[in-house]
Amino acid sequence: MKRYDVIIVGGGHNGLACAAYLARAGRKVLVLERRERVGGAAMSEEVFPGFRFSVFSYVVSLLRPEIIRELELPRHGLHILPLESTLTPLQNGDYLAQWSDHDQNRRELARHSVRDAEAYDEFGLLLHRMARAIKPLLKVAPPDPASLAPRELWDLWRLGRYFRGMAQKDLHALWKLLTMSAADYLDEWFEGEALKGTKSASGIIGTLLGPRSPGTAYVLLHHYMGELDGVFRAWGFAKGGNGSVSAAIAAAAQAHGADIRTQAPVSKILVSGNRATGVVLGGGDELRAPIVISGADPRRTFLGLVGEQHLPDEFLAAIRRYKFRGSSAKVNLALGELPRFTCLPEPGPHLRGAVSISPSVEYLERAYDDAKYGEISRRPYMDIVIPSMLDPAMAPPGKHVMSIFVQYAPYHLNGGWSDARREQLGDTVVDTLAEYAPNLKSAILHRQVVTPADIERIVGLSEGNIFQGELTLQQMFFLRPAPAWARYRTPIDGLYQCGSGTHPGGGVMGASGRNAAMAILGARA
Amino acid sequence: MTDAVVIGAGADGLVAAHLLARAGHRVTVIEDSPTPARSSGWVPSQLARELQLGDLALACPDPWLRAPLAGGGALELWRDMARSVESIRRLSARDAERWPRFCERMAPLRVLIERLYLEPPPNLVDMRFALRVRRLGRTAMEDLMRILPMPVAELLDEWFESDVLKAALATFAVRDLQQGPRSAGTAFRLLHYHAGSPTGVFRPLTSNLAALLRSRPGVTLRAAKAARIGVRGGRVTSVVLEGGDELEASLVVSEAPPRRTLTELVEPGWLDPDLARAVRRIRARGVAMKLALELERPAEWSTLTLAPSLDDVERAYDDVKYGRASARPWIDIVADGKQAEAHVQYAPSGKANAALGATLLGVHVPGMVRTTVIEHPQWPEGQPHQAELALDQALWMRPLPELAGYRTPIGGLWLCGPAMHPAIAGLCGYSCAREILRAQ
Repeated sequence: MKRYDVIIVGGGHNGLACAAYLARAGRKVLVLERRERVGGAAMSEEVFPGFRFSVFSYVVSLLRPEIIRELELPRHGLHILPLESTLTPLQNGDYLAQWSDHDQNRRELARHSVRDAEAYDEFGLLLHRMARAIKPLLKVAPPDPASLAPRELWDLWRLGRYFRGMAQKDLHALWKLLTMSAADYLDEWFEGEALKGTKSASGIIGTLLGPRSPGTAYVLLHHYMGELDGVFRAWGFAKGGNGSVSAAIAAAAQAHGADIRTQAPVSKILVSGNRATGVVLGGGDELRAPIVISGADPRRTFLGLVGEQHLPDEFLAAIRRYKFRGSSAKVNLALGELPRFTCLPEPGPHLRGAVSISPSVEYLERAYDDAKYGEISRRPYMDIVIPSMLDPAMAPPGKHVMSIFVQYAPYHLNGGWSDARREQLGDTVVDTLAEYAPNLKSAILHRQVVTPADIERIVGLSEGNIFQGELTLQQMFFLRPAPAWARYRTPIDGLYQCGSGTHPGGGVMGASGRNAAMAILGARA
Repeated sequence: MTDAVVIGAGADGLVAAHLLARAGHRVTVIEDSPTPARSSGWVPSQLARELQLGDLALACPDPWLRAPLAGGGALELWRDMARSVESIRRLSARDAERWPRFCERMAPLRVLIERLYLEPPPNLVDMRFALRVRRLGRTAMEDLMRILPMPVAELLDEWFESDVLKAALATFAVRDLQQGPRSAGTAFRLLHYHAGSPTGVFRPLTSNLAALLRSRPGVTLRAAKAARIGVRGGRVTSVVLEGGDELEASLVVSEAPPRRTLTELVEPGWLDPDLARAVRRIRARGVAMKLALELERPAEWSTLTLAPSLDDVERAYDDVKYGRASARPWIDIVADGKQAEAHVQYAPSGKANAALGATLLGVHVPGMVRTTVIEHPQWPEGQPHQAELALDQALWMRPLPELAGYRTPIGGLWLCGPAMHPAIAGLCGYSCAREILRAQ
């Protein structure tokens, strides 16, 4: 039997990225995936005959350019198709469109507010600068600020020096982004409700927070992070769906010699004398390796696979209080014809971009109010894309697939999730969207509704949180997932984490997987 | 020494005025509104010593919190930890056991905050600040990083199960803030109001600080309203009063809100347009209705907090998000004999009225003779902190990073009001005066 240096639990995009980097460095790596295909939440599936969907995550926005470059993902089949626009239909029949073409965008913004059109560029410049400032932090393994170990002190000093090197003005701007609500932050810049609503929507994705909740401004930066890397635009599709991202990373890992086994559920991580020694598979087989890396979220990893008896109390307390609270759902539609939006009924370039149901900050905040008390938003926020417009292979000729990201659908629903509640969510989404695109209902051939409970059941993300834990300030950087254990290590020797539950977390970014590999290899990224 | 004019006779203005006078300045205080009889907040012994406030009277009701229970009786939190534990035990044995541990855990954070509050705000990347935080030790340091940005609801949910206990504590964290207990950063405010109190007491003290200083010789008081601050060549020259009198001054210290000081009293042309815009954007929304109550007979309680659960407080906040007064606000009343003061939140500024207040309070406070809305001319939009005390307007950001050092871009013009760090009556004036003297 082949001996491995490293076993990775979970073949999500982070586990695969971690595997690829370790294999590239010459380690013998085995990836174990519970499901029949890799990718975790980044996967494509032919849900209905002829119709392919990115069932869960559906756009590529934050995938780190160094990963694309170092793992040569384009050579392994990754092809990104840029999303060129965001259309926000309004309740009065008008719309707000944001285009990637600067002049076109400015004209459109000025149609609603000259002031906003003027402020937009300055806003963009500031956020670009901020994004550039925090970008190096995405590659850092967060040190333990309370430690006296020389290496931790050294890294802290480097971190301090980095911040001290920043202009005061930028530091303060960064602090504001970290502590303000998206609504307050945008109020300082813009007056147009549709613009503020659509921009603030990016701050609430994946969290159970509304646009008026402090801490939501920070995520506005994410939209400016991708754009500036120059590799491709902030938002795009992977040709063939988001499963192609995982497939490309898996191919890169295999090319470097990693083995990947699917339908190999891990039921337990073996610990002996505070050291990880291997894993037990669902069928009872044991696999041994000196290093075990978990791509599963912290709750599943420690409370599920490792077991509480092996862990110190304080660490356990931190893992138990780590918050998930999934709030997002997906509705995937197979369509017989394109939707005709009342504001722009003819097919056009706007259907090749995103459509955002976010007419105002108040609309989003009310959607949050429902979820705050355990109900599905009566009028939810939706982010809609039609992948078949960019990649016709996703649907049969003349037909289309539509992906609808929905918020809020709280995991902790009053009365719990059931088939009836799932259908109720689907109906709410379709009814709300049909107000803007009246032909939608008659165009639907098939409908798939994915609730947070489904995400948990199918993908294994606790409480259906798409980021493996909320990206709030108290769960970020030094503190993700637990204080003193933010460096991908764990209290068990030889056991590491590489999922989004570690810094920097969230989105199809791959940074956690890469950082974990670097930490294990002892390299400074 | 030069002539100094202090605009405003609140605790901050008077503290600054007397510190400057002791350092040899001839100080005139423009009393543009009556000095409040009671000031809220910590008066550190350092300040009391420097100003020789031997006759300072500090007060905190005991029990400092009394929250009636649905089935009769009340939750009472006392200065005496054992009595609090006894009272909590009637609600939950688990919470009773945790209360002393919670209080102990918050204590080192309070101590750090108290030290920060005795000084001008630290720089965000100040090494001394970083070292001071490190010296707290691992637990307190991790608590600090984790708790400051947390929603208070989350912090309290981690520790306690009793709705009444959690809700009553949460009211301190959202007091005068347009946020609910589920909003991030509200846990910081629980610690803010904890400053200066003994372990286990989260209600700020009140004192006669301002009234005491007002009656003290050493500065000239002048009842008038400032109309304009004269500036020549980028430096202050005088304060012009309504009515036309002009007081020459090479030093002007303003307790008035930054917006009023910098964009109304000063000719706006003196300010960099970016800064002027930022000053106008300082958030200062008032969210509470403050009522003075006159009672038929002395109240049998010293405090009364009406907030049944975190969800109730959160729902009350939902209303104000859309510009409405809460249908079911949370209420905090402090009584002193036949007089009482009620804090009713949330009610956006402009929505406060005595009749509404009387209706809301009537059920809980029998025998109200008269209800009057307390308004304060120094509170723009009804916000007593002059700048909302949220994390993005606290410490090095208060009220704006450019103004956090109390000085303004206009030579000789300083800010000392509650909009400044640390947003505690008297301490803003204290740090401001010390910075002025240090700069001379």
